[in-house]
Amino acid sequence: MTDDRARTASRRSFLTTAGAVGAVGLAGCTEESGNGNGESGGSEDTGTSTELSGEIDITGSSTVFPLATAVAEQFRKDNSEVDISIQSTGSGGGFENFFCPGESDINNASRPIKDSEKENCMSNDVVSHEVVVATDALTVVINNENDWATEMTVEELEQIWGPDASADQTWADVNDQWPDEEIERFGAAETSGTFDYFTETIMGEEGAHTQDYEPTETDRTIVQGVQGSPYAIGYFGFAYFFQNPDQVTAVAIDDGDGPVKPSLETAASGEYTPLSRPLFTYPNENRLSEDHIAEFMRYFIEQSTSEEVVAEQVGYVPRSDEQAQKELDELNAAIEEMG
Amino acid sequence: MATGTERQGTDGTAAFGGVSRLRGVVFQYVTFAASLFGILSLAVLLGYVFWDAFGLETAESAWYATMVVTVVLPVAGFLLYARRNPLAGRTALELAATATGGVLSGFALVVVLEVIAGSGLWFAYFLAVGVPLGALYLYGRRVEASWTGLAVLGVLVAGPVAGTVLLGPLSRIGGVLGGPGVYYLSVIAPTALVARHVVDGYLDGPNGNYVALATLVVPILAVPAVDTVAVLSRSVWLLFFPTLVVPFSIVAGRNLAAPGRRVGVVGPLAFALGVGLLAVVPDLLGITGPSPWFDWQYVTSAPSQTAEQAGLYPAIIGSIFMIVLVALLTLVLGVGAALYLEEYAPSSGPAGAVTQLIRINISNLAGVPSVVYGILGLAVFANTLQFGFGTVITAAFTLSLLILPIVIISAREAIRSVPDSLREASYGMGATRWQTIKNVIMPRAIPGILTGTILALGRAIGETAPLIMIGVATTKFSPPSGLFGKMTAMPMQVFTWSSYPSEAFQHGVVAAGVVTLLIVLLTMNSVAILLRNEFERGDY
Repeated sequence: MTDDRARTASRRSFLTTAGAVGAVGLAGCTEESGNGNGESGGSEDTGTSTELSGEIDITGSSTVFPLATAVAEQFRKDNSEVDISIQSTGSGGGFENFFCPGESDINNASRPIKDSEKENCMSNDVVSHEVVVATDALTVVINNENDWATEMTVEELEQIWGPDASADQTWADVNDQWPDEEIERFGAAETSGTFDYFTETIMGEEGAHTQDYEPTETDRTIVQGVQGSPYAIGYFGFAYFFQNPDQVTAVAIDDGDGPVKPSLETAASGEYTPLSRPLFTYPNENRLSEDHIAEFMRYFIEQSTSEEVVAEQVGYVPRSDEQAQKELDELNAAIEEMG
Repeated sequence: MATGTERQGTDGTAAFGGVSRLRGVVFQYVTFAASLFGILSLAVLLGYVFWDAFGLETAESAWYATMVVTVVLPVAGFLLYARRNPLAGRTALELAATATGGVLSGFALVVVLEVIAGSGLWFAYFLAVGVPLGALYLYGRRVEASWTGLAVLGVLVAGPVAGTVLLGPLSRIGGVLGGPGVYYLSVIAPTALVARHVVDGYLDGPNGNYVALATLVVPILAVPAVDTVAVLSRSVWLLFFPTLVVPFSIVAGRNLAAPGRRVGVVGPLAFALGVGLLAVVPDLLGITGPSPWFDWQYVTSAPSQTAEQAGLYPAIIGSIFMIVLVALLTLVLGVGAALYLEEYAPSSGPAGAVTQLIRINISNLAGVPSVVYGILGLAVFANTLQFGFGTVITAAFTLSLLILPIVIISAREAIRSVPDSLREASYGMGATRWQTIKNVIMPRAIPGILTGTILALGRAIGETAPLIMIGVATTKFSPPSGLFGKMTAMPMQVFTWSSYPSEAFQHGVVAAGVVTLLIVLLTMNSVAILLRNEFERGDY
């Protein structure tokens, strides 16, 4: 029966904004009334006129950045008084420099928070609450003229990208059917979550990566590099490939069960292994007691099911209604606790 | 010796005939090629960016034909005529410069006073600093009192403090007056005084009192007309009045009054008419014009995931807010330091060695990478002084540190280039050091100081690396709320967009961002160049 005015007030504006995702909105509402609310009556009456205001600082992964920006833009259409600033710092940089010291309210991450980061945050009394907001798929891409490597096994990728890959490695070194030409590699910079994720899933060890490649934080640079040479290979998030499917060719990955091409469907169904991954956002639980932050997080979860925002605008795989409902329940419980 | 002269004399013709001019010619062309290389590559780049930003690709050839007929031909014709009648050319240039400068500085004034400061805040500081300063100046001109100079310094130090302490009550006065009232008292009224002074002092013709009266009355009389235009609020009108309407009327009136100059008015008039026709005629004929990315919507709306709705407004305001603070800080700190180092600091003995060391180190600081200043700003302003991560004030201080060495070096050069004979003459007439600096050195050094500062500010507004270090937001949807509000800057937002995958962002929105940045930069520079020319022309 511990309830807070903040929550019920914002609940109302949540309802007004929920139109597009009616199902989740309704479900959230029933859940909310089920929790019981002692002093909600007053604020419910004036709810519609309650303008949310305040600042929200979001830091973290450059992979989640476009999604957070898209959601923030939508959110501000109905809550123009909420001042949202989003900074793309990389998952680890965001936790280390901004989130754990308490400088930012929400940190995005393209991987789960590490234990060391959790401890770091705890030492500053910052408790993170994990929310999965979308599924990302990494795409390995090759030049459109490359017709030999359109299907690759995880082992072949490991040979190409592993720490032991020498500078003068040729395609023929990996598979003798392939041409005897040097491989040109374009990949994620070491600071990015994409790098962590790729090394962990393909090489089985985080950070194990060849030094002989062109590291960059911008997907566009990778595409340009791969376009530039028929013997080039690169990898990046699915979003970019989704919007520019003709510039480069995506490699079908064989994880033992036959090659699977990356697409919204194969990633959502979990067929596209091992290169599909969940994307996270971590609100600071202490700040969830603030109305506008709690409401923004609810909105974020709602939008995570939206085909339009997640898939079309940003190019990630949306969450299912059930998954989002579960996240919403957990978030509401956390908000309740902070109340 | 004699033989040497002899030989030269006998072989003279052969020796002179042997001097090759080839080296000189080659050198000339090398320097020519060097300058051409830079200019051409920049022109190609800018042409490309402008082509994208204004969406010129979509325009039909009929549109270009219309443009040639309505704008290019009349202007070209006038330019040809101006070659034969230079007076007309000068008149046209004067009018065009006044109009462009008026529009640009009008926008600058609106952004700084209305958007960033707000009328209440502006009025509080105007009452605390501007009014006492103006009163002291006028009093000092009337009465030969030696204490007014010191009093000015006192006001400059105490005024901002008083303004901050009394911010509540003072801005309440502003609140009672409302935006237009505030601007009428604080901008229009001083403009009337300045206009009277300028017209009486420098122009022969109309009586200054009438001009001042017109300056006071016209803005009020025009209010009903202004109210009918939706985009033009009363405050905006009152701010554009002194920057655009008053100077333009004075310049136009003066040119129309002189019979020889009248014909020069035709040029700008034809241009304005041509642009107006170009806006209307293609629509009537059903010709597709360009589809610019850089338009009113772009500069007034927040960033968006959809390219068509994307805008740069929060970043523009953030950048301007920041650069205004940077300009104030660097001018005060930079010129102060340069003056001390050049005029007061000991130049001999052990203390002189210390001065020399400081001078050398300032020159070295100018070469430190900007990221290092970012880290310094993060450590000192964001962490130690608790100014906050990514706030306007942290960014302004960090960028000020970044460009201070350049400003100090250029200011020192400017001060040093004032001939010593002038200093000595001043001392010889019994002037004190302070009087020499105030009356002899500063007036001559200011053009040079301003040139250096302009270049440095241009660098500061384009900086990205230090801003990333101090945690400035990549994307923000509303302009900074105040000195301690979070901000974002134009280069940050443009950089973010450049990594967006879609073509519309790559080729439209980013190019429009670059053009916006250029326009802000040019506005800044033109205001500074205007000031500089004013000082250069003044006969001190």
